[in-house]
Amino acid sequence: MYNGVSFFTVECEVGFMCGIEGRGLLLLMMNLQQVMPPKSTANGFGRRRGEREGGTRLESKSQSGKSNSGRVTTTGSVIGSKSGSCAVSSHDKLLYLASCLIGLSVEVQVKGGSVYAGIFHATSDEKDFGVILKMARLIKDGNFRGQKTVAEFVSKPPSKNFIIPSSELVQVIAKDVAVTRDGFANELQSDKQRELMIDSLISQTRHVEERELEPWIPDEDVPQLPELENIFDDPWNSKKWDQFETNETLFGVKTTFNEELYTTKLLRGPQTEELEKEAARIAREIAGEDTQDLHLAEERGSSIHENLGIDEETRFSSVYRGTGFDDSGYEEDEDIVLNTHNNETFGDSSGSVDQISTDFAIAKSSDGGQLSSSSFIVDEAQTSQSDGTGADLYCSEIPSRNFSTLDSESRVQENLLGECGGNNDAKDFVEKQPLPEDAQLPKSGDSQSSPNREKAGTIKVGRSANATPYSTSHVLSKGNEKTSSHGEPVDVAASCKAPGEPQSVNSRGRPGSSASSNSDRAAATSASSGPGLSPSSSMGSLSSEKSTLNPYAKEFKLNPNAKSFTPSQASARPLSPVADNAFYHPPNVSAVPHMHGLPVGFGMGPSLAAQQPVIYPQIAPMQSPQTYYHPHGPQYGQQMLVGQSRPVFYLPNYQPGIQVLRTYQRLLFPV
Amino acid sequence: MEGQVGGSGEEFAVGCLLSIKTTLGDEFDGQVMAFDRFTNMLGLKSGPRRNIRLLNANYIKDFSFLGQADDPLDPKKCFLDLSRLQAREHLAVRQAEADAQRIGVGVTTEAQNIFDALSKTLPVRWDKTVIVVMNEVRVSSPYLPESVSGGTAAANERVKKVLEFERKRLQARGSSQG
Repeated sequence: MYNGVSFFTVECEVGFMCGIEGRGLLLLMMNLQQVMPPKSTANGFGRRRGEREGGTRLESKSQSGKSNSGRVTTTGSVIGSKSGSCAVSSHDKLLYLASCLIGLSVEVQVKGGSVYAGIFHATSDEKDFGVILKMARLIKDGNFRGQKTVAEFVSKPPSKNFIIPSSELVQVIAKDVAVTRDGFANELQSDKQRELMIDSLISQTRHVEERELEPWIPDEDVPQLPELENIFDDPWNSKKWDQFETNETLFGVKTTFNEELYTTKLLRGPQTEELEKEAARIAREIAGEDTQDLHLAEERGSSIHENLGIDEETRFSSVYRGTGFDDSGYEEDEDIVLNTHNNETFGDSSGSVDQISTDFAIAKSSDGGQLSSSSFIVDEAQTSQSDGTGADLYCSEIPSRNFSTLDSESRVQENLLGECGGNNDAKDFVEKQPLPEDAQLPKSGDSQSSPNREKAGTIKVGRSANATPYSTSHVLSKGNEKTSSHGEPVDVAASCKAPGEPQSVNSRGRPGSSASSNSDRAAATSASSGPGLSPSSSMGSLSSEKSTLNPYAKEFKLNPNAKSFTPSQASARPLSPVADNAFYHPPNVSAVPHMHGLPVGFGMGPSLAAQQPVIYPQIAPMQSPQTYYHPHGPQYGQQMLVGQSRPVFYLPNYQPGIQVLRTYQRLLFPV
Repeated sequence: MEGQVGGSGEEFAVGCLLSIKTTLGDEFDGQVMAFDRFTNMLGLKSGPRRNIRLLNANYIKDFSFLGQADDPLDPKKCFLDLSRLQAREHLAVRQAEADAQRIGVGVTTEAQNIFDALSKTLPVRWDKTVIVVMNEVRVSSPYLPESVSGGTAAANERVKKVLEFERKRLQARGSSQG
């Protein structure tokens, strides 16, 4: 595209430009008025000339180029002013002027005095100056001399292409033409002035005019009421604000919320406490993991900002700026370091092992207000709970997640909840390298395995081209000792089925290197037989053994047509409600369910409040006070509170220790 | 070179201010932006409004020199954005085509006026010289309420009423305009 053609080089192009399609004249559907010369003649003339033009265009152009200097000198000046000082011939100037008229409505006067109005389309070059108009109509008939333009009595429809040979041409008049850059700029500006800068515009456009940001200064005349601002700062605040109590007191409004209406009933058995403890441990691990994601880090209280030039906007609210990406797209190169443990843990990347062992790591895109998608809750039940420990495995598309690796000995079957596949509105989902499983993780309540795990499965995320940090991909690996093909426990990757092709997703719009690396990874990843892992199917394959699987679980069906999920970069979005059966709790859970928590979610403050979940502010201290889990409600999501904490919402009969993490399926991302 | 008819030998200096009379009777002033002696075309800029005129110098009957000014075209500021030009043209063509749809061919001015008036409130199109309203009601020459035919009774009535009203309005306006 010619964004700007310097005038000096215009010479060669102008000739083509005049013809738009690169040819001098269009000879289509000529429809000449009666004042024009007989059609055939004009046709023939025109055509010949056109052909001549076309044929000799190149030479003529070069000739004119050569003769440029000659023209310049001869063009001279009447009074002596120099027109040739800039080495641009007058002919070129004329062509330039004519080119400026393209697309404008002009009037052409012909020899007979008739005037035609139409859209300037082309001019011929070289020896003659003819003109082609589109949609031309007669507005002044030369035959009726002295008669000004009358109310048009249209005798025929406008001519689609109207050719005026140079012999007929008297003058071409155009009004209000921009011929210089200033003029162009003004034109463009008026077009663009009302352009709204929406997020997707910012993230997709390569060049976005950055605004100058000014810090916000509160008005002075606004009353400052500090007591109002602080009331929620302390999650365990002494005032124990309970909005539901307040509501009831003030308005007599009682909440009718019943979690079990929305999700599977939580069954408590003798091992509830153990499960709770385990869940807490895992939650702590996850929440304590390192992350490259700005927002995750913010949540967890770690600060990675010092080294990077991250301003407040980037930290909290900016729009993710990719290059040529869908705004929900994951992008950038990530150098994922394959951990050799992967192979150990998972064996060869082949066969059924793949299905089971694949962890999936979801890389989160860079900053820019991207909040990790829904909280990811995995409910795991002990595999020893033979009956129907469900592997109700749905994939949730979660951009970045930390999943603590389950101890393979723990014999905990993981329930990965969420809806896998088949979600056409799933965003592109990028699978990352699985985080290798440390199969030797000690089970007992050791919540410090996370550091090990992290080292084991470090995924290094390189900087994107934009030099914005983005989160490491985290690998979710779940333990599932019920791998039939292995003698030893194998972690089940709670892979989110990524419908579609993660590879393709990755490579889309990516620089080539990343694409290749991604595809390498994907290939290497045992997980991917195809983009999606189907843990459920793998689970299903294990049912022959001591069944920890839920025989009633929905079988996972890979939907090859489903779009890959990629977390969106835009700011907080509401999460769709978890679908039915999103949460499965095995009937006889005796062991502490391993729960993996996804600490990040979308901010949903106001909507959450509207849900009226039952709140129990006196919650046992969480390891990661900044994350909380909203168990129910039509809108699922974890609020991501940057620098703030909110009380955790618990069910009435929950014991303080349990943090139930649920996977949320189907993050909806506005497209 | 006053009084000299533009010919192949004459040169027009860029930047000249000229007053020109054409053989067809047009008179105007303009500043020379370009002159191509091979095609004998003169490019002029006239008036405060950036009007461009490309004049075939053969048709200059008479001109007089008014003054000299700088080259109005600054080469450093000139560039062409082809894509924009093409887009502009396409848009213009599309609009022109849409407009052309609204113009009846071979109809009287009055008929066209009626058509335009009707089109403000009703969907109308031309079918040769017949105005077709809402694809059912047809109004043919001479476009009187009696000429309305077709369509359901309700539609017919409505078109008739609108037609009458518009005619009255046009008449009133026409008579007020003299």
